[in-house]
Amino acid sequence: MGEPAIICDGLTRDFPSGRALDGLTIDVQPGEVLALLGPNGAGKTTTIRLLNGVLVPDSGTATVLGMDPWRQGNELRARTGVLTENAGLDERFTALENLVVMARLRGIDADVARRKAGDLLERFGMGHRADVKVQGFSTGQRKRVALARALLHEPDLLFLDEPTSGLDPAATRDVVDLIGSLAAEQGRTVVLCTHFLGEAGKLANRMAVLFQGKLHAFGTPAELARGLWTGTEVRLDLDVPAPDALLSSLGALSMVIQAVPTPNGVVVRVADRDAVPVVVATCVAAGAPVYAVNPHDPSLEDVYFEIEARAGAVALPEEP
Amino acid sequence: MTDSTARVATVERERVNWSVVRVMLGRDLGAIVRSKALILPMLALPLVLLVLLPAAIGLAANGKQLRVERFVDMLPSALAAPVMAHPPQERLVILVLGYLVAPLFLIVPLMISAVTAADTFAGEKERRTLETLLHLPVRDRDLYIAKLLGGFIPATAVAWSGFVIFAVISNIVCWPVMHRLFLPTWLWMIVILWLAPAVAAIGLGIMVRVSIRVNNTQEAQQLGGAVVLPLVILAVGQTTGLLLAGPKVAFGAGIVLWAIAIWLNIRGARAYARDTMATRL
Ligand SMILES: Nc1ncnc2c1ncn2[C@@H]1O[C@H](COP(=O)(O)OP(=O)(O)OP(=O)(O)O)[C@@H](O)[C@H]1O
Ligand SMILES: [Mg+2]
Repeated sequence: MGEPAIICDGLTRDFPSGRALDGLTIDVQPGEVLALLGPNGAGKTTTIRLLNGVLVPDSGTATVLGMDPWRQGNELRARTGVLTENAGLDERFTALENLVVMARLRGIDADVARRKAGDLLERFGMGHRADVKVQGFSTGQRKRVALARALLHEPDLLFLDEPTSGLDPAATRDVVDLIGSLAAEQGRTVVLCTHFLGEAGKLANRMAVLFQGKLHAFGTPAELARGLWTGTEVRLDLDVPAPDALLSSLGALSMVIQAVPTPNGVVVRVADRDAVPVVVATCVAAGAPVYAVNPHDPSLEDVYFEIEARAGAVALPEEP
Repeated sequence: MTDSTARVATVERERVNWSVVRVMLGRDLGAIVRSKALILPMLALPLVLLVLLPAAIGLAANGKQLRVERFVDMLPSALAAPVMAHPPQERLVILVLGYLVAPLFLIVPLMISAVTAADTFAGEKERRTLETLLHLPVRDRDLYIAKLLGGFIPATAVAWSGFVIFAVISNIVCWPVMHRLFLPTWLWMIVILWLAPAVAAIGLGIMVRVSIRVNNTQEAQQLGGAVVLPLVILAVGQTTGLLLAGPKVAFGAGIVLWAIAIWLNIRGARAYARDTMATRL
């Protein structure tokens, strides 16, 4: 895989209002899509600004595309593309003009810039509005233009800050598909900030979960799940909630870690697969018919909310 | 920290990237030209000062003999002499159009540079376009120079073209009295070519820094009004006397103004840093 696209170690940044990022240590491999997850104020945008050399950290180091973001900032920024949280288009100009100016500021020839900008707008379904002033554009249209702007110079590394916030479901799906195709082509590395788990789940290889500036989890969803929970979860459909007698006999089994009743049965956490037939047999022996047995791999949502709950439990004492 | 500062400083000493400056300028000047809200107030003052005033003076001088001697008598004799050296019927025109308008005229470049400079960074913040600029591979100094020129060029352009119009109108309207092209004078040449750009640069030096600190153009203009207007009045008061003292003194005043302008702008450029701007997004 070669050297990582991003390595950062102990990245910390304070503002007068407090610590925005606290000792962030992560790495991103070339061609990887990393989801930076976290609620409002977690430090996602600050991370992007730091990694792109726009903000300077109070402590910590980073190497991005083999460069020091604070000493080789402009060299680095020549190879990164950023979709900022608000599209940041100049309303006084048309979509095409916005793109062409940015391309030319990046040193692209006027003719090439116009052609590329036109092509990208076309590709993102904005071709028909290329020569319209941005002023009247909807949030979704702005995002598309801004995404096109981030890609004009064919960056190796893309920072996407909440690419789907403010979009309707159809537009969200379009933009997510678009990002998916961007990541797939040319092994482009993508750092995707979001608080929407759906898009992270669809796009990301790994996720980093930030809360109040601190990294609480980092890895693939499966890795994180393994760290959070032991064993596998199995859902049994019994048509009715599992009776207490059944719960206690399930709990007595050595390979069962936990048994929790649900409205139509029970969720059993077992140490490994071999426990499943024993669990089913115990239910049947207790006189509970088993209609369905479904192993349940934790989804990204499950993982995220579990991390959030645990982080919240840690953070709670700080709140008044 | 000293080590890293030194390294950043060497990088910054590279040559200015003029193509970046040109593109930024094109964008900003294009936006000014398209914006009626900016253009109209910018042209109102030059119109009154440089078109209506000379027309009125010319007409007044053509009609009844307006005596200016009593006013001129109040000036110290050294200052009054250049006016009194002219035949009586020419004195009104010489006094007003040759001398008194000149210092007032300096308000034009000052005001226009202040108005455009107020918009430089505050405008980018207000339009939410600043962050995009910070994420570009554009050196801080190149962006800063583009922003300075974006205020300097319109100010100087309006001042110079305004003067040409002023000179043409004055010469035409006053022809029956003067029977010669009396403008430009040496004094005016100094005001236009030497003092006007300096005054524009001072306006920029102050207003760009104000613009960096506030969140929107209106705030910048309000704050600028509190700083720049008093300065205008002071400057005009001072320069009037200096100008009557002759071209040499006016030239000397220009040296002082340029020194102030350069000092202000260099300090501004040094103080500008990407990180600080990103903190104020
Ligand atoms: N320029 C700044 N000045 C002061 N405080 C700041 C600044 N930028 C960020 N912060 C603070 O740092 C913290 C992290 O902010 P950041 O914008 O990185 O969060 P985020 O994860 O992007 O949140 P969101 O999902 O709302 O975009 C917040 O508490 C924020 O108030
Ligand atoms: Mg954010």
